[in-house]
Amino acid sequence: MASKNIQLPELGEGVTEGELVKWLVKVGDKISPDQPVAEMMTDKATVEVPSPIAGVVTALNKKIGDVIEVGAVMLVVDADGAMAAVASASKPTQGAAQPATSVKESAPAMMAASSQKSVSAGMEIHPPVTDAKVLATPATRRFARESGVDLNQIRGTGVAGRVTRDDVMGSGGAGAISAGAPSYGSVLQIPRPGYQGQVEAAEERVALRGIRKKIAENMQMAKHIVPHFTLMDEANVTALVAMREELKAHGEKYGVKITYLPFVMKAFIATVREFPMFNASIDDAAQEIVYKKYFNMGFAADTPNGLLVPVIKNADSKSILQLSKEISDLAKRAREGKLAMDEMKGATITVTNIGSVAGQYATPIINHPEVAIMGMYKISEKPVIKRDAAGVMSLDAIKTMNFTITADHRLIDGAVAANFLKAFMQRIENPGVLMLEMI
Amino acid sequence: MATQNFDVVVVGAGPGGYVCAIRSAQLGLKTAIIEREYLGGVCLNVGCIPSKALITAGHFLHKMQHDAPTMGLKMAGEIKVDMKQMQTWKKSVCDRMTGGVEQLLKGNTVTIIRGEASFKSATELTVKTATGSEAVTAKNFVVATGSRPIEIPGFAFDEKLVLSSTGGLAIDEKTESAIVIGGGYIGLEIGSMLANFGTKVTVVEANKGLLVGLADAECVQVVARKLKKSGVDVMLEAKAKGWKKSGKGVEVTIEVAGKEHLLKADKVLVTVGRRPNSDQANIKGIGVVIDAKGFVKVDAQRRTNISNIFAIGDIACQPMLAHKASHEGVMVAEIISGLKRAYEVKTVPSVIFVDPEIAAAGMTEEEARSAGYADLKIAKFPFAANARAVSLIETDGFVKIIADAKSDVVLGVHIVGPEASNLISEAALAIEMGARIQDIALTIHPHPTLGETMMEAAEATLGHAIHIIQKPLSAGKAAVPRPHA
Repeated sequence: MASKNIQLPELGEGVTEGELVKWLVKVGDKISPDQPVAEMMTDKATVEVPSPIAGVVTALNKKIGDVIEVGAVMLVVDADGAMAAVASASKPTQGAAQPATSVKESAPAMMAASSQKSVSAGMEIHPPVTDAKVLATPATRRFARESGVDLNQIRGTGVAGRVTRDDVMGSGGAGAISAGAPSYGSVLQIPRPGYQGQVEAAEERVALRGIRKKIAENMQMAKHIVPHFTLMDEANVTALVAMREELKAHGEKYGVKITYLPFVMKAFIATVREFPMFNASIDDAAQEIVYKKYFNMGFAADTPNGLLVPVIKNADSKSILQLSKEISDLAKRAREGKLAMDEMKGATITVTNIGSVAGQYATPIINHPEVAIMGMYKISEKPVIKRDAAGVMSLDAIKTMNFTITADHRLIDGAVAANFLKAFMQRIENPGVLMLEMI
Repeated sequence: MATQNFDVVVVGAGPGGYVCAIRSAQLGLKTAIIEREYLGGVCLNVGCIPSKALITAGHFLHKMQHDAPTMGLKMAGEIKVDMKQMQTWKKSVCDRMTGGVEQLLKGNTVTIIRGEASFKSATELTVKTATGSEAVTAKNFVVATGSRPIEIPGFAFDEKLVLSSTGGLAIDEKTESAIVIGGGYIGLEIGSMLANFGTKVTVVEANKGLLVGLADAECVQVVARKLKKSGVDVMLEAKAKGWKKSGKGVEVTIEVAGKEHLLKADKVLVTVGRRPNSDQANIKGIGVVIDAKGFVKVDAQRRTNISNIFAIGDIACQPMLAHKASHEGVMVAEIISGLKRAYEVKTVPSVIFVDPEIAAAGMTEEEARSAGYADLKIAKFPFAANARAVSLIETDGFVKIIADAKSDVVLGVHIVGPEASNLISEAALAIEMGARIQDIALTIHPHPTLGETMMEAAEATLGHAIHIIQKPLSAGKAAVPRPHA
């Protein structure tokens, strides 16, 4: 038996710390490799941390609510010999989708190992040391280290390729941003005014942390960078309602609940194909517009931890049935805090149906670096004046649904957005037409 | 015997250790420092500081003898050199600095333990003090035990006839002649200092040149010329085989090209380098890994294979320089306190207090080429064209700048000349900031100062220095002076 310190492994790209939500084991528990030992909340999601080894838990070093840095020792396990050998062989793999496991031996074990001349000096340092060829001032280098940003991976925007403080900030705050991947580097320094308590005894201060902090940052950034405007209209969804009612029963046969969201997504994507500037980003650093030839649809999900935006990858090539399945699966896991990191990344455009709870219209905030977001609202029944061939007017009852399109005015003009909304409305009002464009 | 417990215990109070201890205490960590000999280490007691005091005295004397009459300052009678008084003054300089270190440690509530440390485990060591022994435990240890002069076979230091640098800096009597084995920076600093006091100095160097691998070859040429002028003999590709007593002095056997020569002198100084003290304090005994060259194996955070033990300064890696050790000391203290740090400097500037001084920051031409910079811009500006240098009667030397021709980013600066040691900091900053040559050229440098040479060298690198006549850098390139890009 050997005592092993289990460290908090890499939780995902750009994640440097997490808050301990729950221990899933207690001292004395016998655990097996890959058994979840703790639930951690990061600024992106709640994840389960697996044990890299088998053994018996001898100590839990952290308390619930502790903010733990990647690499910090979380618990100590008395490992059984055979498994320990396997565990120490498995090094953390960077960039893996699953949280990688990592084991560092405690000092006494280390000393035993050193006599067998098989030990490498020190720990791995993350981010790696900045190469001497990287142009960045000493202060920027330190800022990058404190922000967990790997300077070797950042393309500098300054003279002669210098990496500036803004480049580091624009890299997303933390993590290795590969030079090849689009960064759409935003260059922002957001002011942080303090709040002077009025009646401090009657006020409670809670750390802005985790998902809430990330939401705050994202919203502030989007509102800072993107000049938003919103266009609103009411669609006659009588036909859509009828169609959905009909398909609902079919869906149930497959065990899938068919909602309106996948229909809206289909109409939305078909319209975006027609207006490619809605499926784009602005790379401020490079002063370029990036048109994306793939359609990853984000949809806003209200969860107990706050707003999350799960992403349906390649939503354009999925059927209504597939979309429905994915939506309900992602939404469920979002509420449970069980989404994987990459299930919330890479959206090219987003839809929000938060308005279905209440509200005639809303003005959503664009999920930067996307350039548009669609809002869908509750269905109502309304009277409309109908005129027959002879010009005789009568009252008719229709189902209506309100839609909004919010766009980045830097890229999308008002008239373009109006045409976009018009084209979308034609599709959603005539869902049969969607069939023509169905892939 | 009560065991004392600390957050951080630093072993060794040199420029790495004491700085680390002060920063640890500043960061709120309960800190102790263990020192067996003297606070301030080699640097403040038998290295940088005393040598600079004596070199300054030698330089002063040289100016009085050679430059003062030129300036119209005639001295009546001979200038007397009182070596004993000089040693007293040198000691007062050291004492003042080491006293300052002690005050700083105490003022920051660092516990000072005087004695020799020996590790018992990764969390405990014992200190053999004057009165007994003390047990000390700590969460973190920083090993900063430095280095010591290398002895060569047959030349055991007695510090009377066979001197290490320590003995060389303690000479308190007129020395007619001295043999310096090793033409590195320590040998040349002490050797040329002695020469200034009238000692006949012979430098014996095994390499083909002086300061090999320590300085830009062109800079070394300037120093070699000056050494020759001041009567210092240099024997290259020469090996000291052994010595015997001869009268009150020594007779050293030196082999050059297979032939043995006998050389007599009052003293022989052996300055062939320094070795890390990694064989001490039982660090090896508790499992700290030491590499083939004797350095403790560390990572970019200066952490050893035992994660709560750090090593900094001469014991950790090259270059063995005080300012590198201090930088590491601050960094390690901050790492222990939980801050995110790593050693990621672009350059550790070096200074050699020979005559004239040599200082460098960044890469040499060869280093730049082997680092993959194929196209370089290189130019020099001579101190002879600088008004302040002329008025100081210090016109030997130059500032040389090496830049990447593609980006104009400054890669290296090499200075040989007056106050090179003080001028190099600007170059170090430029390199750390990733400055381009234009950044230096376009910065107004005050007139009349030696610092203008840096600006002019930058201009020269761009092909259009004002105070020298420049040929075009190469055919077709910069034939016409072009405005700053």
